[in-house]
Amino acid sequence: MMENRSHFPAEDGAKTAPALVRLENICKSYGPVQANRNICLEVHAGEILALLGENGAGKSTLMSILSGKSRQDSGTIFVDGIPAPFRSPHDALEAGIGMVYQHFMLVEAMTVTQNLLLGQAHGILNPKAMRERVLELAARYGFEIDPDAVISSLSMGERQRVEILKLLYRDCRVLILDEPTAVLTPPETKQLFSALRRMASDGKAIVFISHKMREVLDLATQISILRRGEIVDHFLRADVPGERELAERMVGRQMDAVVVQTPVAKGEVLLELDGATCGMAKDLRCRIRRGEVLAVVGVAGNGQRELVEMVTGAARPESGPDSVRILGRSWQEFVKQRPGRNGLVYIPEDRKGVATCPALDLLDNFLLTCRDEFQRFGFLDRRRAAAAAEGVMREYQVVADGLHASAGSLSGGNLQKMVLGREFYREPRLIVAENPTQGLDIGAMEEVWRRILAARSHAGVLLVTSDLREAVTLADTFAVMYRGRFIDVFSHTDTERLEAVGMMMAGIRFGEKEEERGRSGREA
Amino acid sequence: MDGFRVVRRQTPPGWVSFAVLPAALLIALVFCSLLLMIQDKSPVKAAVVLFQGGFGSLYALQDTMLKAIPIFLCSLGVSVAFRMKVWNIGAEGQFALGGVGATWAVLTFSGLPMPLMLCLMLLCAAVAGGLWGLIPGYLRLKFGLNEIISTLMLNYIGIEFMRYLVYGPWKDPGSMGFPMTGLFPEEAVFPEVLGYVHAGLLVCVVAAVAVYVFLQRTRLGFELCVSGENPRAARYARIPYGFLLMFVLALSGALAGMAGCVEVSATFNRLQPNLCTGYGYTAIVVAWLSRLRTPSIALFSVFVAGLLVGTDNLQVDMQVPAAFGGILEGFILLCVLAGQFFHSYTLVRMGRRQGGAA
Repeated sequence: MMENRSHFPAEDGAKTAPALVRLENICKSYGPVQANRNICLEVHAGEILALLGENGAGKSTLMSILSGKSRQDSGTIFVDGIPAPFRSPHDALEAGIGMVYQHFMLVEAMTVTQNLLLGQAHGILNPKAMRERVLELAARYGFEIDPDAVISSLSMGERQRVEILKLLYRDCRVLILDEPTAVLTPPETKQLFSALRRMASDGKAIVFISHKMREVLDLATQISILRRGEIVDHFLRADVPGERELAERMVGRQMDAVVVQTPVAKGEVLLELDGATCGMAKDLRCRIRRGEVLAVVGVAGNGQRELVEMVTGAARPESGPDSVRILGRSWQEFVKQRPGRNGLVYIPEDRKGVATCPALDLLDNFLLTCRDEFQRFGFLDRRRAAAAAEGVMREYQVVADGLHASAGSLSGGNLQKMVLGREFYREPRLIVAENPTQGLDIGAMEEVWRRILAARSHAGVLLVTSDLREAVTLADTFAVMYRGRFIDVFSHTDTERLEAVGMMMAGIRFGEKEEERGRSGREA
Repeated sequence: MDGFRVVRRQTPPGWVSFAVLPAALLIALVFCSLLLMIQDKSPVKAAVVLFQGGFGSLYALQDTMLKAIPIFLCSLGVSVAFRMKVWNIGAEGQFALGGVGATWAVLTFSGLPMPLMLCLMLLCAAVAGGLWGLIPGYLRLKFGLNEIISTLMLNYIGIEFMRYLVYGPWKDPGSMGFPMTGLFPEEAVFPEVLGYVHAGLLVCVVAAVAVYVFLQRTRLGFELCVSGENPRAARYARIPYGFLLMFVLALSGALAGMAGCVEVSATFNRLQPNLCTGYGYTAIVVAWLSRLRTPSIALFSVFVAGLLVGTDNLQVDMQVPAAFGGILEGFILLCVLAGQFFHSYTLVRMGRRQGGAA
């Protein structure tokens, strides 16, 4: 099916060796849904294979079969040409196949080295030697990581490096990455890609799942497109017709126009930071008016969390009482109030860990933040809440098995739509959204963007994002965050600065050249 | 070669949930039969005595109900705290304090009509038990002290405090030196309502309905469940976690305290040092067995109480050592708890069937 590989003369030598991994006619069904149908794939050493497909196309199922997490209904996996029945992820790891999941599997309270020790405790441990090895591996692939840092203090990008290190430490030859760039910023993505290329040139094979065309074209040497559980196309990088065609084959239809923002009249000031300081976030200054989206961009872990915690009332600003004014009140007055209608809502990044209770049903999850709307003398009126929640589900086109489906059973996109609907139900005047489209497919992403833009008619939005495309699509104003400070705040019409955002995210001010910076650094 | 593999259930178990309890009982009985046979006692007879003693006659059932009442109240209390994943191990001490509170009411107010007196006793017991529960809540909020340790330690303090009172200030001069208070007046004793089962049963019914309505219908109850389910989501939704923690421990303590009141009033008619016989700990087991569901708590309270009564009978009728009763009881509970594993997991045979089929 995809033997077009043999047109590639440069790799003829490698062809004689059996593929590191070969999948043959893999099928998998969940009830009536066929997630994978007769999938055939092979991955050779040194290749970077991109699996491209929309949410629900079957990418994750296929990779969880390959990594031993679930089992195929039929079909065979060959490792080095020998059939390898995996019963568990452990078997797959033994065979040299490891996976980095989208949701990291790290023990938050332990250090990087301790996490690497987990699961491979045979006999006597030698933490010192492990630490050395971690440093060596990290240096080899250009990962900056402190082996003694506690996981909970790391950014998402750093955690991902730990996950990759875990696999490298176990000498995995095939690394599978599920949407690896979803949690990364452009510089981090660049770093990751160069590390992955180095791994490939070391003779490892990389398989990565994505639905971002540009990344796939940037990194992959092979591209397979999955649609409705089948591989519909396979290209060598050199043969790819173009980004647009690739996208159309993935979606199976003409692409919709991307979301376009039309300006909205600006109203009163809703959020005002005047020298606000809180932990790592220092001396922040900005204003958000009604009808305005302020996008805070920057590499994760540069103070965004502190900023969000401060604005949502979870963390107390260390600066003066008037340094943070929310909806016309000082921070102290704001937190004293019970959250209600026309106030501030917060759409957190972590949908399943923070924004919802996965084990509870959709009605309870709706009540989670809307409970005050449906209470009378301390009693909840569930019937009225159910009617409202159903209305929200209809309006936001949440696909779920009724109101009593558990939140955990929803796909990421549907859950995010539910969260958005729930938060917008109270007609907020200030919206704090943190990476609201992370991990969503194109359709859901555009829907979320449209909703946020529509909300501008009555609200101001503080958007904290590590997706530049999202910021460019939504923002009126940009604030670039670096080491806890806004190093620049500018309007979206300022195209020169917009071009330089990547540099600013690395701490270089607009108009400042790198050498100058170096010199002034030495003088200081 | 082939073993079994543990797999989490995707769908709730159907027939399994009905089969687990009898199967667990059977396994426990087989094991206990072996123990009995070692002692040359007939296991069949023992099983009959055990069942008859706990559930076999009207008298037996009434005895069982009497024991079930305090267990149920304590268990209802700890289950509310467990729902929020607050591990209140202190029902025993809160139970003792409840006894103290009720006795204080009797000693302080006299001559009140019975309904008023009983309500006052319950109130004092609930307040005493509730305050005792508040202490660990406060310690955890202020100093981050783990409530498992503090509630457990407060049990000893609470029980010793109760003993101090009956050995000292509250000792009845007419008791010929025995450490106990005087007999309660008639209006301070719960009347019998069903055979010789006392009105504590009504307290149970009211408490159960109140707790059920609280958890299912009120905003505070909802906030409590969310806090237990996902503390980060609770914080996100600005649910007052600290307040709820204190509240839930107070409520938990108040229910255990009411159990203490019922026991002092109806069973002993006075405060005496052997008030605490481990109901507070049994309640924890019952809460787990019933997976925190109120109707199941009622059923398992009766079941465990029946076991307690039945094993007492076993000692008398078959001259097995007193410890045997404890072993039997422990083993049955262990089997039932282990059996609950099958509610959320199932075993799958690791077949030779490999990917190559189809």
